[in-house]
Amino acid sequence: MPDDLAMSPSPPRAGAARGGEENAVRRTRRLPRGSRRAKGLLYVLPALAVYVGFAIWPALSTLRLSFLEWDGILPPVWAAFENYVEIFQDPALYEAILHSLILIIFFSFVPVVIGLLMTALLLGRVRTGMTFFRVVFFLPQVLPLVAVGVTWRWLYAENGVINQFLEVIGLGGITRAWLGDYHLALVALGLIGTWTMSGLCMMLFLAGAQKIDTSLYEAAIIDGAGPFQQFRHVTLPGVRREITIAAVITTIAALASFDLVFVTTNGGPAGQTNVPALLVYRLAFNEGNIGSASALAVVLTVIVIGFVSAIRYFAREDR
Amino acid sequence: MRKTAPFRRPGALLALGTTAALALAACAGGSGGGETNQSDNDVSTTITDEPVTLTLSYTNEPPTEDLIDGFTEHHPNVTIDAQQTPFNDYVKSIKLAMSSDDPPDIAQYNPGAMNTLVPAGLILDLGPWAEAYGWSEKFPAASLEVLSSDESAQQFGTGNLYAAPGALSVLGVFYNTSILDDAGVDGAPATLEEFEEAMRQVQDSGTDPLSVGGLEVGGFHIWNALLNVLGDVEDYRAWVYGEDGATIENDGAAEATDTLIEWVDEGYIPSSANATADSDAQANFANGESAFLITGNWAAADLESEMGEDVGFFLMPTASGEPATVASGASVAYAISSKTEHPNVAAAFLDYLSSEEAAQIQFEGGFMPINTEAELGAEGVRAEIADSFATVVENDGIVPFPDFASPGMIDKLTPGVQGLISETMTRDEFLRSLQESWDEHHAG
Repeated sequence: MPDDLAMSPSPPRAGAARGGEENAVRRTRRLPRGSRRAKGLLYVLPALAVYVGFAIWPALSTLRLSFLEWDGILPPVWAAFENYVEIFQDPALYEAILHSLILIIFFSFVPVVIGLLMTALLLGRVRTGMTFFRVVFFLPQVLPLVAVGVTWRWLYAENGVINQFLEVIGLGGITRAWLGDYHLALVALGLIGTWTMSGLCMMLFLAGAQKIDTSLYEAAIIDGAGPFQQFRHVTLPGVRREITIAAVITTIAALASFDLVFVTTNGGPAGQTNVPALLVYRLAFNEGNIGSASALAVVLTVIVIGFVSAIRYFAREDR
Repeated sequence: MRKTAPFRRPGALLALGTTAALALAACAGGSGGGETNQSDNDVSTTITDEPVTLTLSYTNEPPTEDLIDGFTEHHPNVTIDAQQTPFNDYVKSIKLAMSSDDPPDIAQYNPGAMNTLVPAGLILDLGPWAEAYGWSEKFPAASLEVLSSDESAQQFGTGNLYAAPGALSVLGVFYNTSILDDAGVDGAPATLEEFEEAMRQVQDSGTDPLSVGGLEVGGFHIWNALLNVLGDVEDYRAWVYGEDGATIENDGAAEATDTLIEWVDEGYIPSSANATADSDAQANFANGESAFLITGNWAAADLESEMGEDVGFFLMPTASGEPATVASGASVAYAISSKTEHPNVAAAFLDYLSSEEAAQIQFEGGFMPINTEAELGAEGVRAEIADSFATVVENDGIVPFPDFASPGMIDKLTPGVQGLISETMTRDEFLRSLQESWDEHHAG
C-alpha cells in the first residue's frame, strides 16, 4: 500500500492566504509599520511574560546555579564545572539513568503497543459504550500520581490484592512484597507506569484514527484487505503523528519520573529504583546542595531533549 | 513545550524555589547577619508589660500550640502568632523565611537540617539568656548539647547554644502484651538475649515478631536502637556530632549491624519490610499483626488509643540486663531569629518550656517532658516510657539519631538497611557507605 494513504487532509492554503493578504494590506494603510509591530507585541506580551517568568527564566537560573556552589542561604561561590565533575564521578547517577531507561520500556513502549491494540479493537466496531471505554481507560490520567502511587503500594503489599489474587489462582508460591523485592521492584514500578500511560496512548490514537477518511477503509476492503491488513496499512500510518506525540510524552514521563517513585519506593530497596529526578530532589532539599542539584537537572534535561529529538528524527515523515 | 517539559517536575520546583531563594538571600546578605538588635535590648529575664506580638513558625503539633497558650496565659500582653507547616516542607521553607527581611521571631529548629542558619548569623546565640536564666540547670544537659555547635555548624555538642528544647522524644520498643502472653513470653524482656528469645517464641506461635517500616525510617531505627546498647556511647557521640577523625566503622556498629543481619536471617525482620511505610508498620502493629514495633514515643498516644492496655514499652535491652542508659532521641526545639525586636520576650518563651506546667503539656502531647522532676500523674504505656526515659536522662544518655551526622546521611541509612534486609549489602559495605557520607560532609 502506498504511503500517501496516510496523508491527513489539510485545509486549502491559497484561499486563506489570500484573505490574510487583503487584511494586511488594508491595515498597512491605516497604521504605520512600527506601530503595527508594537501592537502585535502588546498582544503577545501577557503570554510571553508568563512563559518567560515561569519557564525560560527558571531554566536559565537552573543553568546558572549549576555553576555555583550554594547551600541556599550563604552567598553562592563560583564553582565552574566542579558540580558537573562531581555528579559524573558518582556511580549513583549512571545507575539512576539506567533505571529510567528501563522505565522507558514500561512507560512508553508497552503503553504505545497496548494503546494501538485497544485502538484496533475499539475502532469501527464499538458503536455503543465508546464513552464508557474512553472514561475507564483514561481515568488513570485524571488521578493525581501521588494517589495512584499510594494505592499501588497497597495493591502490591505482602497481603495486598495482587498477592491475594495470585493465591486464589494457585500461585501462592511467588507472592511477595513486590515493591520491596530487590530484583523486581523496578519492574513492579514500571507496570504502574504502564497502567497510567496506556489509557493516554489509547485516547491519542483513537482521536487520530477518527480523523482517517472512512473511504480509505472502504477502498482497502474492496482491495481485499482483512481487519489486520486494514489496521496495518490504514490505521497505523494514519496515527503516525499521534504515535510520535505519545512516545515523546511518555518517554519524558519515564526519564523525568519523580512523584510516582517518590511515593511508592523512594528509590528503594537499596537504591534499586533510584531515578535522576529523585537524586536532584535529594541533593537540593536533603543535602542543601543547590549547585549539584541544578547540574544534575541540566544533565537530565539534556538527556530528555536528546531522546525526544531521536524519537522525532526516526518518526519524521519525509524519510 | 518540549523544552520546558523536563522542568515541570522537580526541576521546575527547584528552579522556581531557587530563584526565589536567590532573591531572598540577596536581601539577607545586605542586613549583615546576626546581633542586629541585641545591642538595643539588654538581656533580661523580666519582660515588658507593653503589648508585644511575636511570630512563630513550627511543624510539630502537639506540643507547640498548647505551649504557646500556656505561656501567653502568664503574659497576657504577649500575643504569639503561630504558623504551622507540614514537616516535609518545613525545613525547606524555613531556611528561606529566616533569611528574609521579615522572619518569624521564633522558629522550630532542627540542628541537622537547618545548620546553615548558624554560619549565616540568622539565629541568636542564646548564651546570655542561658546564663541569666540558668538553663544548664533547668534543661537536661544532653538535650542542650545537641542544640549547640561551633560557628560553622560543622561540629555539634560544643560552642554556642542556638535553640532550647520544647519537648523530647525517645526511641524504644513497643510490645503487644496479649500476643506475648499467647506466645508464652513472660513480660518485657530484660536482656537482648531474652528479647531475641521472645521474638523466636512469637514466631513459633505463628505471629510476626516485628513490624518494620523499612521503606522509610523504620529499618534504620532498629539499627539505631541496637547501636545505642551495643556501641560505645562516646564513639557514637563523637561521630554524630562531627568530631575530627570520628568513624562509624567501629566494633560497636559492626556488632549492631551483625545483630540486625541475624534478625533478618531468622525472619524476625520480614522480607516485606522494604515495601512497608512507617505508618503502615504502625498500623500493622496496632492491629495485632505483630508483637513488637521499634519506634519513638511519638507513636504512644495513637497506639494507646487503639490498643488500650495491650501495649507496653521498653528501651532496647542491654546484653547484660542493666537498665539501658543510652537512647536516641530528638527534641522539638525552638530558635530565635537574630532580627527579632523582642529577644527577651522570645527567650522568656524558651524558659517557659522548662517549667513544670510545660512538662504536663509536653507529656500530654505524647512527648517526654523537659522538666523530668515534674509530677505527671502518668499511667499506662506513657508511664512506662517516662520511667525508662528518666534513667536515660539521669545518665545524660540522650543521643541524636544517626541521620543527624550529615545532611545526606538519611539517604544512606534507609537504602543501606534495605540492602541489609534484602541481603544484597554486607555489614562492611553498609558502614562504609555511612562513613563516606560523613567524610564528604566534614571534609569541607
